Amino acid sequence: MKRQALAVALVAALSGSALVGGFAVTRAGAHQAQPAQSSAQTVAQTRTGTHSQLSLAALSEDPNQWVMPSLNYANTRHSTLTQITTQNVSGLKAAWTMSTGATRGHEGQPLVIGDTLYFESAYPNHIFAVDLGDYHIRWQYTPKEDPFAVSVACCDLVNRGVAYADGKIIAAALDGQILALDAATGRVVWNFKNDDPERGQTTTAAPLVVGNRVIVGVSGGEFGVRGYLTGLDLATGHMVWRAFSEGPDSDVLIGSNFSGPHNAGVSTWQGDQWKVGGGTTWGWYSYDPKLDLLYYGTGNPGTWNPSQRPGDNKWSMTIFARKPETGAAVWAFQMTPHDKWDYDGINEMILVDVQRNGETVPVLVHFDRNGFGYELDRRNGKLLLATKFDPSVNWASGIDMATGRPILNPAKATMAGVNVHNICPAAMGNKDQQPASYDPQTGYFIVPTNHNCMDYKAFSVKYKSGFPFVGAIVKMYPGPGGNRGAVIAWDPADGHIVWTDKERFPAWGGVLTTDGGVAFYGTMDGWFKAIDTKTGAPLWKFKVPSGIIANPMTYTHDGKQYVAILSGVGGWAGIGLAAGLTEPTAGLGAVNAASDLSQYTTLGGDLLVFSL
Amino acid sequence: MSGRFARSGWLAAALALTLAAPPSGAASGVQQGVLRVCADPDYMPFSARSGDGFENHVALAVGHALGERVRFTWDTERGRGGFDGFLRETLRAKRCDVVMDVPYAIDGLAVTHPYYVSSYVFVYPRAKHYDITSMDSPELRGLRIGFETDTPAETGLKLRTLITHAKPFEIGDDPGASPAEILDAVEQGRIDVAVTWEPSIGYFLRSRHNLVVVAVPNARSQGSPEQYAFPMAMATRPDDHTLAARLDEVIASHQSELTGILAAYGVRLYRPSDVASR
Repeated sequence: MKRQALAVALVAALSGSALVGGFAVTRAGAHQAQPAQSSAQTVAQTRTGTHSQLSLAALSEDPNQWVMPSLNYANTRHSTLTQITTQNVSGLKAAWTMSTGATRGHEGQPLVIGDTLYFESAYPNHIFAVDLGDYHIRWQYTPKEDPFAVSVACCDLVNRGVAYADGKIIAAALDGQILALDAATGRVVWNFKNDDPERGQTTTAAPLVVGNRVIVGVSGGEFGVRGYLTGLDLATGHMVWRAFSEGPDSDVLIGSNFSGPHNAGVSTWQGDQWKVGGGTTWGWYSYDPKLDLLYYGTGNPGTWNPSQRPGDNKWSMTIFARKPETGAAVWAFQMTPHDKWDYDGINEMILVDVQRNGETVPVLVHFDRNGFGYELDRRNGKLLLATKFDPSVNWASGIDMATGRPILNPAKATMAGVNVHNICPAAMGNKDQQPASYDPQTGYFIVPTNHNCMDYKAFSVKYKSGFPFVGAIVKMYPGPGGNRGAVIAWDPADGHIVWTDKERFPAWGGVLTTDGGVAFYGTMDGWFKAIDTKTGAPLWKFKVPSGIIANPMTYTHDGKQYVAILSGVGGWAGIGLAAGLTEPTAGLGAVNAASDLSQYTTLGGDLLVFSL
Repeated sequence: MSGRFARSGWLAAALALTLAAPPSGAASGVQQGVLRVCADPDYMPFSARSGDGFENHVALAVGHALGERVRFTWDTERGRGGFDGFLRETLRAKRCDVVMDVPYAIDGLAVTHPYYVSSYVFVYPRAKHYDITSMDSPELRGLRIGFETDTPAETGLKLRTLITHAKPFEIGDDPGASPAEILDAVEQGRIDVAVTWEPSIGYFLRSRHNLVVVAVPNARSQGSPEQYAFPMAMATRPDDHTLAARLDEVIASHQSELTGILAAYGVRLYRPSDVASR
C-alpha cells in the first residue's frame, strides 16, 4: 500500500495534464503489482479474462514498473521517469549487482512488477525473482532442457527475456519449452513445447502476452524447417493457433480479410520448396490495442543458396499484421524478396503516431537488417517512407515507393560461384535484434546499429571426387570509417540521420530513452553509457564485467529511479567478431581476431543496477 | 545418437528440398535397353571394377527398375583433371549417360531428386571422451585435426584459425589413396580427430568400433554460412532431361531399396534438419 501511494504521488508529480489518466492507471497497476506477496490472492484477482488484458496495458503505463519486454505494446522502450537527467547522470553509481550464473551471451532485460525484479539468463536459462527491498532471491527456477538444443543453436545461446501477465511469468527455454511460472512462487503453472531441437529449432525470443494469448516465435532450421508464430492460451498453455510463414493460405492463416495476394506462400516458390522455406520468427512482437493488430517480422528463406530457390520466397523477410486472438493475417509487407544476403526481417516494429500532411497517422517504424528504415501505415501496411539509416548501404539504391520493392544494385547481387565484393551491410545487417527506442521529447528514434560490409561468394556446390563442397564464403569487415557499429538518432519526419555516435564494435545491445533527456546503451567492449538524447553527447560511462548485448531498462523503488542492464558478451556478433571477423586485407586465418574483442572483455553474465 | 540419424521421415524432408521435375526435352543418346553408367574402377567404397562399390549397387538397382542392363564406363575420378576431367572424358564425351553420386546443387549437369542426405562428420577414438558437437566446440582448439583439403571442413577450420595445427589429407585427389587412411591416422594417434565426408568412411568404420562418429552441424556462427550436410543425387548431361526424369521416377518408387544399399555400406543418412543451424 505504501508503494501504491508513492506511485500515485510520482505520477501526479510527473505527468502534468495526464494526471487523471495517470492516477487511474497507477491505481490499477499498483493493485496488480503485488503478486510476489500473496500468490493465492494474485491468482484470484487476475484470472478474469479480459480484465487482465486491460490490466497489463494499464500496468505498462506505470513508469515505476517495467512489465513487458519492450516496456509497452508499442515497443518504445521510452520511460517517462525524470529523476536521472542530463544534468545529474554523471553522478550515477552502481547500486546493486548479481551474477546470473550463466556465461553465454545475455540479450534480454529484466522486468519489474511491484517490488520484484524478474530476469532470465542465457542458457541454461536460470529464471530469477529478486526482492527489490533487500535483494534476496525470492525464487529461482531452471528448466530441464534437451541438451541437443545447444548443438543446433546458431548464434550463441541467448534469451531475450521473460513476459508477465495474470500473476504469471512467461519464459522461453532454448529447447522450445514455454513455461508459465507463478510470479509469487516460481511454481510451474504450465509448460508448452513450442519446437523441437531435433529438427534444428530453438527459442530465444521474449514472449508477448496480448489478452488471453501468449505469442511465441521460433528460431532455427536454416533448412529443413518452416518458420511459424504460435498463439497460446494464457490460462492453460494450450496452442490456439499457429501461423506458418510459408505454405498454403490455410497454413499462413490468410483468409478473406487479407489485403495481399493469396496463396503467395506457395506460388512464389518453386515446387515444394516452401516446405523448407525458413522465415523464422525470433525477433520482437508489438501490438496496437486500438487496431487490435499484432506485428512481427519473419527471417530469411530456407536454403542458403539463392539460385536453388527462384521466386520472391514469400512470406520470408516480411512484416506481418495479425489478429492476436486468432492469428488471422490482415496485411503483409515483404522487404527483401528473394533474399540473397541473409537480411532477416525480424527486427522490432515500433508503433508511433506521426504527422503527415497535417494528419495524424498511426505508423510502424522498423529498422531492417537490410539497412533501410521503413515507415508503414500500420492500419494497412502502406509504405510511407523508407530511407537508409546507414549511408554505406549499397545493395539497393532505394525502395520503390509504389511497389515497396528494393531498387537493386546489380553489382551487389550475389550469385552462385561469383565472389561479390564490398556489399554493405554484411549479413548481420545494419541492425539486428538489438532494439531501438523512440524518444517523444525529441521525436527521434535512437537506433543501435552495426556497420560492417562483406565479400559474399554465393553457394557454388562442387564435387571433389568423393567429397561435396561449397565454394561459398562470407567475409565480414568494418564498414567505411573503420567502426563496426554506431548509435544514431533517426528522424521519422523525413528519415534522416540526426547524429551518429560511432562504436568500435557493433552496437549489439538495445537503447533506453527517458524523459530525463538521457539515453542509455551498452557496448560489446564492456561500457554502459549514458548520452544526451538530443545531441548524442556522452554524459557518463561505467566499465562492466563483460561486454553488453542486452537492453537497459528503468524502474523505481521506494521513490528512487534505477537503471538496470545485463552484461554478458556473446550473441552472433560476439561469436562472429570474437573469432571470425578479420581485417579486409587479412587472409582468412591469417589474423586471430579472437584477440580483438578479448582485449576488452570476457564472458560472464551479471545484472547491474545503477542509481544516483 | 540415434536421434540425429535417419528415421523414416528423412526421405520426405529430402524430397522437399528438390526442384520440380524438369520438363522432358532432348532424347537421351542411350542405346535401347542399356543404362550406361560412368564410374571409377578403383575408389572404394564408391565404385570398383569388381562391382563392389555402393554406386555400382545403386546403378544395378536403378537398371533393374528401368528394365535395362547396366554397362559401366570406367575412368578414374582422381586423375589429373579431377572430377571435372572424369566428366569430360566420360559423361560429356557421351561414353556413358549417368553419374550415380553427385551433390544435388552441382552446376552444369541435369540432376535428379536427391536420394540421400549425408554429412561431414567428426571421427575420434571412443576412449578419448571428447566433447565435440560442432566446429565451435572449444575442445577442438587443443586437438590435432585431420581434414580433407578443398572441403567445407577446410573452410571451417580456416574460419576458426584451427587450420595451422591441422593435418591435410588429399584422398580425393590421389588415385592410389583410400578414404580409410584418415581413419588409420586417428587410430594410430597421428591425429586426434578427423573431419571428413561420412559416406567415404562409413564402409571402413564397420570394423572399427573403437571410433565415434558425430555429425558436423551446419553453422553460421562465424558469419559465413557453413554447410556440412549435402543432399546427393544422380546426374545426366545438362540436356538429357528425359533420362533424369526417368531416374526420378525410379528414385520415387525404389527409395527404400536405395536406402538399404547405402545402409549396407555404412552410409549414415541425415534428415536435413538433423544438421541444421539457427
